[in-house]
Amino acid sequence: MSEQLDKAIEALKTYDWGIDPNVIRPIDEAIITTHADAAARKDLETRLIAVLKTEAPQAAKGAVCRALKTIGTAAAVPALAPLLADEKLSHMARFALERIPAPDVGQALCNALPKVAAKLKIGIITSLGARREATAVAPLQALLADSDPAIAAAAAHALGDIRSLEAAKALVVAKPGAGTKDAIADASMACAETLLTAGNKGAAKATYEKVLASTPSKAAKDAATRGLQACAK
Amino acid sequence: MNPNPEHQSTRRDFLKTTGAAAAALGFPTIIPASALGQGDKPAPSNRIVMGGIGLGNMGSGDLGNFLNNPLVQYVAVCEVRGNVLNERKNQVDGKNGNKDCKAYVDFRELLAREDIDAVHIATPDHWHAIQIIEACRAGKDVFCQKPETRTLREGKLVVEAARRYGRVVSGGSQRVLEDYRKLVNPCWSGELGPIKSINVAVGPLSQQCNLPPENCPADMNWEMWLGPAPWAPYNSKRCDGNFGTGGGSWRSYSDYSGGGMTDWGAHHFGGATFAVDVRELQPAEVTLNDEGGKKWISFKYPNGIELTHNRPGRGNMQVEGTPGEKREAKKIPEYAAKGGIGADFLECVKTRGKPFRDIELAVNTVVVCHLGIIAYTLGRSLKWDAAKQQFTGDDEANRFIDQARREPWQL
Repeated sequence: MSEQLDKAIEALKTYDWGIDPNVIRPIDEAIITTHADAAARKDLETRLIAVLKTEAPQAAKGAVCRALKTIGTAAAVPALAPLLADEKLSHMARFALERIPAPDVGQALCNALPKVAAKLKIGIITSLGARREATAVAPLQALLADSDPAIAAAAAHALGDIRSLEAAKALVVAKPGAGTKDAIADASMACAETLLTAGNKGAAKATYEKVLASTPSKAAKDAATRGLQACAK
Repeated sequence: MNPNPEHQSTRRDFLKTTGAAAAALGFPTIIPASALGQGDKPAPSNRIVMGGIGLGNMGSGDLGNFLNNPLVQYVAVCEVRGNVLNERKNQVDGKNGNKDCKAYVDFRELLAREDIDAVHIATPDHWHAIQIIEACRAGKDVFCQKPETRTLREGKLVVEAARRYGRVVSGGSQRVLEDYRKLVNPCWSGELGPIKSINVAVGPLSQQCNLPPENCPADMNWEMWLGPAPWAPYNSKRCDGNFGTGGGSWRSYSDYSGGGMTDWGAHHFGGATFAVDVRELQPAEVTLNDEGGKKWISFKYPNGIELTHNRPGRGNMQVEGTPGEKREAKKIPEYAAKGGIGADFLECVKTRGKPFRDIELAVNTVVVCHLGIIAYTLGRSLKWDAAKQQFTGDDEANRFIDQARREPWQL
C-alpha cells in the first residue's frame, strides 16, 4: 500500500487533464485506511500539502484539494489560503477549506476578502456563509454596502446562511438597493424562520416587517406576509 | 391559468381592451378560437405559463409533455447548447403557430420574466438545487427532474425555499407511483402484513473524471454548463447526457452526479420507500456490511423498517413482510389528476395542493442515495440525525454534507 501511495503522490507532480485518474486512486484508498491512524493521516496530509507548494498542474492541485476536503486540518490552511487569490485554484482551495472544521479557516477566508477580485470574493463570501462563520458577521455586514450589487447580494445570502441573531440584526439595519433588496429579503426571512423556531417571535416579526417595508418583489412580499401570519399563531 | 391574480387581470384586460379598440376602429373583432379556449383547452389567460430549463434528453421529454398539455401556455426555453436551444424553440413555435417562444442561455433571464408561472428543470444534477431555489425566489412553481439534489445540504435548502415562498415544487420520478404498483398494492393493503425490509439493487457510484481537453463547439456555453462544478476543460463525454453511468456521460462523474446510485437510485429508492411507507422519513442508521468482499448497506429507519442496498441474495424491490400477521389497509396516495406526474404537478399549480412527489418527499429519497454514497466512499457505517441534518460522532462524514460551489454560484 505504501509503495502504491508513494507512486500516486509522485504521479501528482505531472498529473494533468487526460491522465487516467486511477494513477492517483491510492490516495483515496489511503484516506479510508488511515481513518483510525493519526500518524499515518498526518503523514498523508503533510505529503499532500507539499504538492500545493510545487509547480504541479492545476488538475493535480485540484486533486489534492479534494483529498484535503476530507482529511485537511489547520495544518493545511497556510498552504490553501494563498490559493484563494488564484483565479484558477480559488474554488478548489475553498473546496477544501469550506469543509475543514478548524477556526483558522474562517480567519483565512476573512483575511482574503479584501485581497481578491470581485468574482473570487463572491466565492469566499459564499464559503463563509456555508460554514456559518459567526466571526464573519461583521465583515459580511460591511459588504452589504458594497458598490457591486453581486457582492452585496452574496453577503446577504451568506448572512442568511449563518442565521444567528447577530446576522439577523445586520440584515435588519441594511439599506436595500435595487440590486440587493430581494437577496436581503430572502436572507432576512431565513433568519426569521430560525428565530421563530427558537421561539423568538418578537425578533422574527420585526424581521418580516422590515422585509415588507423594503418594497420587495411580489414573491418576497407574499413570503414575508406568510411569515408574519406564522408569528401571530 | 395564472395563479397570480395580477397576471390574470392583465391578460383579460388586454383582450378586453384590444377587442374594444378594434370595434371602435370598425374592424370586425375576430378572436381566434385558440385565444378563447377550445374544447378542453382553456383560454390563454387561464393557462399555466411555462418555460423549460435544460432541454436535452429528459428535458426534451418534459417539454413535449408540458407543451402538449392543454393547461399550459409554453413561452420560453433555456439551454446552454445552441443547436438544442434552436431546435426546442422551433418545436415550441411550431406547436404555438407563431415565433414568440423566447430562447435563453442564462436561466436567470428566464426566471426574471414576471409572466411565467412555472418552470420545468432538467439540467445536469449539479445545477438542480441552485435553479430550484432561484425559481422559488422568483415566485415560480417548479417541476424538477430527479435526483433533485447533488448534496445533503441542498436538500434542506430546496425544501426551505419551496416552503418560504409557498411554491408548488414537484420532484420528477414518474416511476415511483407508476412502475411499482404490483409492489405497492400488497404492501399498503396489508396483504404482506407488517413490513420488515425491502431491498434495492442499483449502481454504480459515480467516479472522478479527468478526461482530456477537446475543442468546445462554438455554440456551447461551457461556463454555464459547468456552473457551480469545479472547472474542467470541455470534453464531449464529460457533458454527454446519455443515460449511461459507466463512463462517457455526465451521469458517470462525481462532480455532476452520484452515478447510478442517484440516477436510477432516485427511482428505485423512491419506489421502495413509498412501498414500505417510509417516504416521509429519513434513515437514522447506515450500516456498511461486507460479506466475502461484497459490500452492501442497510438503512435503518426510526420506525424499525430496514431498506437495504445490493443485499446478497435479495432481488431489486424484494420485500420482506410478515405473512399471516394482520395489518390495517391504508389508502394509497395518488396523483391529483390523470395523465402522469406532469399532470399531477399542473393540477397542484392550479389548486395550490402538494404534488404526489412533493419536494420534501423527493429529498427524503435522494438523502438515502447520498447517505449510501458517503458510507461506501468512507468505507464505514454512519449514524444520521435527520433533525439536525448531520452525522452523529463522525466529523469526517460531516464534511461530505456539502461541497463548495464555483464562484459566483451560491445556493
